[in-house]
Amino acid sequence: MHYFTRTNAFRAALVVLCTQFCGVYGQEQRTYSGPYQLGKYKGDANFGYLISDQDTLLQGDFKMQRSSLDALLAKEDNSFLFSGAFENDYPTGNWKFEFGEFQSDKQTQVVDYQYRVLVSGVQEEAKGKVVKGRPDGPWIYEVNRIADSEVAETLFKSSILFDKGIPQQSFQIENTENTLVGRFLRDGLAHDEWSLFSSEEIGSSESWIFKEGVLLRIQIEKEGKSTDINFTGNNAKTTKTINLDAAYLKTLHLLQTNTETVDLSKSNMEPLLAENAGYYQKLDTILSQLGKATFLPEFKVKVPYYPLDSLENETLDKLAEQYKMAKGISDFFLSSSQLGILKLSDAEANRLYEVVHTISKEYLHPLGAFLALKEAGIYEYAARAQVFQKLFPQLPSKEIKTPQKEGVSAMPSFVLPNADAYDFTGTSLNTAVQIASYALESLQTVEPVLSKKLSKNKREQELRVLEEQLIAENHALEQLLDTVSNTLPNAHTKALEHIKSVTDIKLSEFSSAEDVVSAKALLECYKSMNNLAKAIAALPNQSVEIEETYTDRVWNPFMANLMDEEVKKRITSAYKKVLVPYYLKSTQEDVDCGNVNELVQLMHTTHERILELRDEDTTKLERKLRRENDPKAIVALFNVKEDQP
Amino acid sequence: MKPINTGIIALLVVFFFRMVPMMAQEETEGVFLPTESEFKDPKTKVWFNTYGKIRISKRFFWDAQTHFRFQETKETPFIGQLAQIYNRHALAYIYSKKVNFSLGGVVRVNFNTDEDSEDRNVVPEFRIWHQYQFAQALYSAMIYHRIRIEHRWTQGFAEDSEYIFRNRWRYLFRAKVPLNNHKLEPSTLYVSPEAELIMQSGKQVVGSVMEDLRLTTTLGYILTPRLTVAAGLMYSHGQTFDNPGVFNQNWTLRFHMYFSPDFRKVRNKLPAIHLND
Repeated sequence: MHYFTRTNAFRAALVVLCTQFCGVYGQEQRTYSGPYQLGKYKGDANFGYLISDQDTLLQGDFKMQRSSLDALLAKEDNSFLFSGAFENDYPTGNWKFEFGEFQSDKQTQVVDYQYRVLVSGVQEEAKGKVVKGRPDGPWIYEVNRIADSEVAETLFKSSILFDKGIPQQSFQIENTENTLVGRFLRDGLAHDEWSLFSSEEIGSSESWIFKEGVLLRIQIEKEGKSTDINFTGNNAKTTKTINLDAAYLKTLHLLQTNTETVDLSKSNMEPLLAENAGYYQKLDTILSQLGKATFLPEFKVKVPYYPLDSLENETLDKLAEQYKMAKGISDFFLSSSQLGILKLSDAEANRLYEVVHTISKEYLHPLGAFLALKEAGIYEYAARAQVFQKLFPQLPSKEIKTPQKEGVSAMPSFVLPNADAYDFTGTSLNTAVQIASYALESLQTVEPVLSKKLSKNKREQELRVLEEQLIAENHALEQLLDTVSNTLPNAHTKALEHIKSVTDIKLSEFSSAEDVVSAKALLECYKSMNNLAKAIAALPNQSVEIEETYTDRVWNPFMANLMDEEVKKRITSAYKKVLVPYYLKSTQEDVDCGNVNELVQLMHTTHERILELRDEDTTKLERKLRRENDPKAIVALFNVKEDQP
Repeated sequence: MKPINTGIIALLVVFFFRMVPMMAQEETEGVFLPTESEFKDPKTKVWFNTYGKIRISKRFFWDAQTHFRFQETKETPFIGQLAQIYNRHALAYIYSKKVNFSLGGVVRVNFNTDEDSEDRNVVPEFRIWHQYQFAQALYSAMIYHRIRIEHRWTQGFAEDSEYIFRNRWRYLFRAKVPLNNHKLEPSTLYVSPEAELIMQSGKQVVGSVMEDLRLTTTLGYILTPRLTVAAGLMYSHGQTFDNPGVFNQNWTLRFHMYFSPDFRKVRNKLPAIHLND
């Protein structure tokens, strides 16, 4: 269905105007005239239509166009024109399509009372007849380069004769580089000689010889040399008619009998056909959006057909599964940067890497191509043996040798112990399965060995990193001791020295049993111990901070001056006389990796809490602190909010 | 100037005034002026004074002073017996850290210390007073100027004694010089020389306008910002009420306690506890 874009008032007017033309079998013929959007095309349209069973069917002339002088003068204009007719929603009759992309030099002339603006750009033009939504009769699609409103060069031109959508007789497609001329049978099958001439290289040509859709040979003339490419399967019992497209060219690759395969995907034939198909696709998109149309030119060819039976389908599924598993393993190792480094120093790792590499190259790559044929749907267009030979011109060797490096003793080659159980003879699907199985089992044999090597290597690297961090932490601790020991009170320095002696013992314990787990634990401990050391070194400054926080400037009415008054002395003295000595004592007596964080946390939160308490009503707390000398009880008191019961 | 020097000078001033011979007074009606000023023998007194300045808001404090004043008697020389209990109260306004004003009343209970007297033992005395105090920093010391004006109703111990009204005009100059510190703060010992001249006027005051000249040296110690103790010796002399030609002399030992609590709630103290500093 399509939709109209216009106002209701306008629609009402149209209905009134059009009722008198209405029509057949109670259907109402109407016309529309106004702005219209069709996919990416926005313009003005005029067309007739019918309403039938709530469906809108296009009926009668159709015209839609757009061009803008403003846009052209400003920068560039994309113009278009579609004109033709519909019958019962099918495009029918003579049709014309124009697509322009123009710039102007903004120079105007007045000629015969008209303003003229010269334009340059590209104009596409297609015209021909349509029957029931299919091209019929001669169709010409032309792309011209326009300079100063005149055709300067033909960039593309195709002339095809259709009969109800089926290409007939002869056709010609040309672009600036090549010209293709060919013939069709009445049923659209390629026939006789299709010739492709290069307009750039004189004397260079390609001739494709078809017989009722079957390609017999290709004759290539290049630089005065003639090459013939022959194809098998020309006498196949069953054939299948398919479109001449990229998939067909791949099929031809399989069907070639030359010892030296010519890559037909590089032939100029296909791009030219594809370009043509692209232009027809554009028309098809427009017409299909409007009504019912099938506008693609279908150039038909015949290929041999060897349909897969259910057993073969199963075998192919199995092959695909094995391939997927094997590919997973090989991709993992081949893309492992860690293995890339390890193989430089570890000969065995290198040997196994080479095994994986060889299997990937010699086994998996052809198998992948094999499965790709199946995916592309062209596996059935060639005989099994032919496909096998194309993909495995040489059977992969079961014994995989490691390339010997200079100055390094030769490594043993790799072969599965049960290699004899795999039968690589024959050219059937089963042989491919045998090859895939061998590849998979080989990879599965290598996998655990390599994985272990990798993880060991990973552990060693991890340990090295951890040890470096440990050394850094130890260094940081030593530096802290050096820096602060002169300025800190004696008790503080002693606590710091104790921390150092604890970590020294832990470090010597670790060096006798180096492993990642204890290294991680020790690193954590070191970090915590460093935090404790920093916290102790910070104590004198914190005391000053607390003292300052708990000092009030009080106006003394007798002296008429301001005096510093220590407030809430019970809190500050509990901190100075009980808590700080407790921190130092705990550090010196029973600090350990297990409880160090707790102590650091306690010091931190208590300090923060004391600063908070300055501004809180602490009458009750101060009363409770009066005779309290137990640090734990004091901490407990501090953490209780005073306003809570 | 070093603080110690200021103290010494203050003491010298005390002795200087002591030595100056008094000018002869004019003879008044009914009273025979002596040809030369007559100085009575000095009396000794001991005062125990408490001074409270209780902060009640950002700008106000309550001034509460209670003094116990002893005076020598024939029976008990030196410390003597309780002569006055003195209650001085006022509402004080803090204009700035250095300037404040007070207005209040005094109820003084006077005890008759004359053991031979047949008169009443106790009589009350009332005053209305206002005061203007200015302070300024001088090097490490502080100096203070205090103007105090009192309106005073007194009566004698005699049964039929009537109240007489007098005005008192008082100017006090005082310095506080820290001795062991560079400023006045807790744990500081200071010396405070002071001189106060008390003049009086009133219908009944005829001739005896200089009621008292007090010269004092005090040694104080600041315990906390809110508590200070001090002790000092005061020499004072002035014209007797009855005869301008006759001068009383006193030696007074004074003990002081200064306290300044702040009963405001924490949340009220927080926003503007320090006035303008």
